[in-house]
Amino acid sequence: MKKLLVLLTLGIALYACSQGGKQNNDNNTAVRSAANPEDYDPTRGEGKFDNVDVGEQLDVAMAQEGKVIADLKCASCHKYTDERLVGPGWAGVSEKHRPEWIMNFITNPDPMIDKDPELQAQLEICLVRMPNQNLSDEDARQILEFMRQNDGLK
Amino acid sequence: MKSLHRAILVISGLALLAVIILPIWRIELDAAQYPEGLELLIYSYKLDGHVDIINGLNHYIGMKVLRADDFIEFTVLPYLVGIYGLAFILVGLVGRRRWLYVLFGAFLLFGIVAMVDFWRWLYEYGHDLDPTAPIQVPGMAYQPPLIGFKQLLNFGAFSIPDIGGWIFISCGVLLAYCVYAEWRPLKAKQIS
Amino acid sequence: MAAVAAVSLSFNACRPKGAGSAVSGNAAQRTYVPPGQYDEFYTFTSGGFSGQMSVYGLPSGRLFRVIPVFSVDPEKAWGFSEETKPMLMTSHGFVPWDDLHHIESSFTDGMPDGKWMFANSNNTPRLARIDLTTFRTAEIIEIPNTGGNHCSPFTTENSEYVIAATRFSVPPDGPESDVPIDSYKENFKGHISFVSVDKETGEFDIAFQLKTPGLNFDLSSAGKGVSNGWLFISCYNSEQAHTLQEVNSSQNDKDFIMAINWKKAEEYFKAGRGTVQTNVRYAHNKWDEHTHSATSEIKTEVTVLDVADFDDLAYLIPCPKSPHGADVNPTGEYIVGSGKLAALIPVFSFAKLQDAIANKDFEGEKYGGIPVVKYESALHGEVQKPGLGPLHTEFDAKGNAYTSFFVSSEVVKWNVESLEVLDRQPTYYSVGHLMVAGGNSKNPYGKYLVAYNKITKDRFLPTGPELCHSAQLFDISGDKMELLLDFPTIGEPHYAQSIPADMLMDKSLKIYDINANQHPHKTNGEAEARVERDGNIVRVYMTTIRSHLTPDVIEGIQLGDEVYFHVTNIEQDWDMPHGFAIKGANNSELLIMPGETTTLKWVPDRVGIFPFYCTDFCSALHQEMSGYVRVSPKGSNVPITAYTGTK
Repeated sequence: MKKLLVLLTLGIALYACSQGGKQNNDNNTAVRSAANPEDYDPTRGEGKFDNVDVGEQLDVAMAQEGKVIADLKCASCHKYTDERLVGPGWAGVSEKHRPEWIMNFITNPDPMIDKDPELQAQLEICLVRMPNQNLSDEDARQILEFMRQNDGLK
Repeated sequence: MKSLHRAILVISGLALLAVIILPIWRIELDAAQYPEGLELLIYSYKLDGHVDIINGLNHYIGMKVLRADDFIEFTVLPYLVGIYGLAFILVGLVGRRRWLYVLFGAFLLFGIVAMVDFWRWLYEYGHDLDPTAPIQVPGMAYQPPLIGFKQLLNFGAFSIPDIGGWIFISCGVLLAYCVYAEWRPLKAKQIS
Repeated sequence: MAAVAAVSLSFNACRPKGAGSAVSGNAAQRTYVPPGQYDEFYTFTSGGFSGQMSVYGLPSGRLFRVIPVFSVDPEKAWGFSEETKPMLMTSHGFVPWDDLHHIESSFTDGMPDGKWMFANSNNTPRLARIDLTTFRTAEIIEIPNTGGNHCSPFTTENSEYVIAATRFSVPPDGPESDVPIDSYKENFKGHISFVSVDKETGEFDIAFQLKTPGLNFDLSSAGKGVSNGWLFISCYNSEQAHTLQEVNSSQNDKDFIMAINWKKAEEYFKAGRGTVQTNVRYAHNKWDEHTHSATSEIKTEVTVLDVADFDDLAYLIPCPKSPHGADVNPTGEYIVGSGKLAALIPVFSFAKLQDAIANKDFEGEKYGGIPVVKYESALHGEVQKPGLGPLHTEFDAKGNAYTSFFVSSEVVKWNVESLEVLDRQPTYYSVGHLMVAGGNSKNPYGKYLVAYNKITKDRFLPTGPELCHSAQLFDISGDKMELLLDFPTIGEPHYAQSIPADMLMDKSLKIYDINANQHPHKTNGEAEARVERDGNIVRVYMTTIRSHLTPDVIEGIQLGDEVYFHVTNIEQDWDMPHGFAIKGANNSELLIMPGETTTLKWVPDRVGIFPFYCTDFCSALHQEMSGYVRVSPKGSNVPITAYTGTK
């Protein structure tokens, strides 16, 4: 119990520190994105994709391309099942999130991890921020298609 | 001789004996690269200070290497200074006025000869340059000043007496004072 | 006694006071770059005997990066990873160190174009090209027939050629070079190499060499503007001494500046007038950004033109006392020769030189078959009493020259046209090279001058007998030069090049595209991570990503194996390198950039368990980024196994 208390205090102290640091940062650097968390739309995410028209049918060729990229750039941390590795497993992800949220997140991870409540909760579990893997728009769309295939869409 | 003057002579004599082991003259060299300064200290029997560094620099302009062995003065000078010290003490103890005048004359002569000799060495080292030296500036000689400051290429050379030299000069001044003080009442007596 | 003391004091008063280190009041403000903001200039600074090139910001003097070039660097695995080893190959084998002297930008129309930096090695003669998108050494070529490549890597107005000329004349390469050293005059020759640079790829090729009488070539500048097509090289040891050069090379009142009509030389070369020499051997090493590997090839041919065979290739201009710098002003009209033992600076006029050549205004006797132009005929004028020991001159865009003086330890500003001395400022101490931003270009950026000092005693906190060399930043925008900042440097900086930040920062590469990675041992995603045995060669195909190495459990390695860790960093995020190091490796770490594959060779020397880990703190779980190798005796039946997480 005592140990837990110490950890908790430490945790709070760390949190307080990080908050302080962040405020300083925001004051100092004008380049940081101006959008404040109130403008953040948790269903759309933040990034360049507004409305992704995915269609009812799976594009099999596109999904295959997506798997090649995912194997190289994503699979080190994500299993395609529901099992967590470094990050959460992919099973069900395309049903849980809107296509634009997924594509925004995988192409623009850092700003979204800072704002998205669900991603922040996830970070507390995984402790590793998802890296930006420099996916092109096309890569992102193909990975999304593979996620849809992974979730059983035919 | 007044006992005060005799005491001055004895003390001066002792001080002169100390000059044997004290630096008599110093040549300080200043250049941008040597913010801490370089100095050459001349004792009655040796050269001291940054002799090796100064020799290292001098070889660029072809100056001869400074070596204590090349100076006959360093074997003679300690004895000469010692003899003068003893002579000061002796004259002070004996207290004969005539001896005082002789001592003054001899000491003055010694000072003059020493300075001339010193100047001669400075001249020789400053002018006798190796014709194959890497750095040759037409018309340039590197004779340090006898006393005072002179710019030699990038080095400022500053030549002054050191503690031994100042004692030597002080002894001369005090001796002169004794001569004057002993001679004045005598002259006054003669006139009256 | 009091009188004596007073006299003594007054003597001291007659002694001039030193200049001290006067810094103007707002110097701090003018060099302060607030956290998060950028410097105005990148400054690429040679590392001298460190063999590397360092990158600083101006005006802050902050060090950003040390680029390994001619010396191994275990931090970056330069010369330790299997991929980089060929970059340091020469005809003498693997050479792990050199003396990187000068650097020069690649130029387009006489201005830095931000593509490459060139660098020379002074000991084992080589030329290097550094890529300014990756800030890595992309190519190194060895120079044949050359003693010490000091007079290099000066480039022509459009970097058609980079020059490499010998500081120590030697007999030409080949079996006939076994000659008595005192036969210098007849057997020793100078060679000036013209190394062409491909406009697009930058690739080097030794187009041709000019053979000259035995001379020491010191420094050079290519003509620009009106003098484009010419090259000016300072030469000393016109005495052709082969021993005690300190004295024996300093005897002649005048040595030379050699003026070479390189466009003419190029014509003769293209017309096939040169001789192909086939007894040379020199290495040509190239880095391939797609295979992330270097190749080294030995070449055996070079074309040589003997200047004495042509009337109109080279001319000698007498220049006082062992000239060091030969610097051409922005218009190209004036050539400044800095005789390092001279008490004046001669300035030669290109127009007068051309007239003298046209009128054959030569000395009676040729020097080794090369016409000697009369000193007065080529002279624009002399700067009188400039200082002592002039070494190098740079220029601003307002018609001023800035010369460094080693002996009197100062930088002197003077007007090129009027030859009038305008200002002098002390340096601390004994300045060698100096650099004005863009000061060797057609239109110098000006504003800053950096003096590179050899001696720094009493300027910084002492660090034992070995002290840093220093850079001193001056603001030269006003009439007087103002000292702003002192900062220590890496190795001995011989020269530097400043490039405006905005010319480089946007094109600086952020990551290597993993899809473009063509390394033969790339691991294409974690699923392909594996261990393969071929005889006693074991190849570990490993990936890194925050925060694990795959595989991190490796068994089946045996004593006597040569293990190659081919580590692919599959991150694609900027500033996310991973490191790799294994216990007992007689080698270095690896530092692998995102998208890159790098190889560490490891020969285990005993049985046991060997941990390996990531050396570059990469994430909150960096400390967990590690693994184990099990080494078994030779012939053991432990099977090859490799996995991360689950078998």
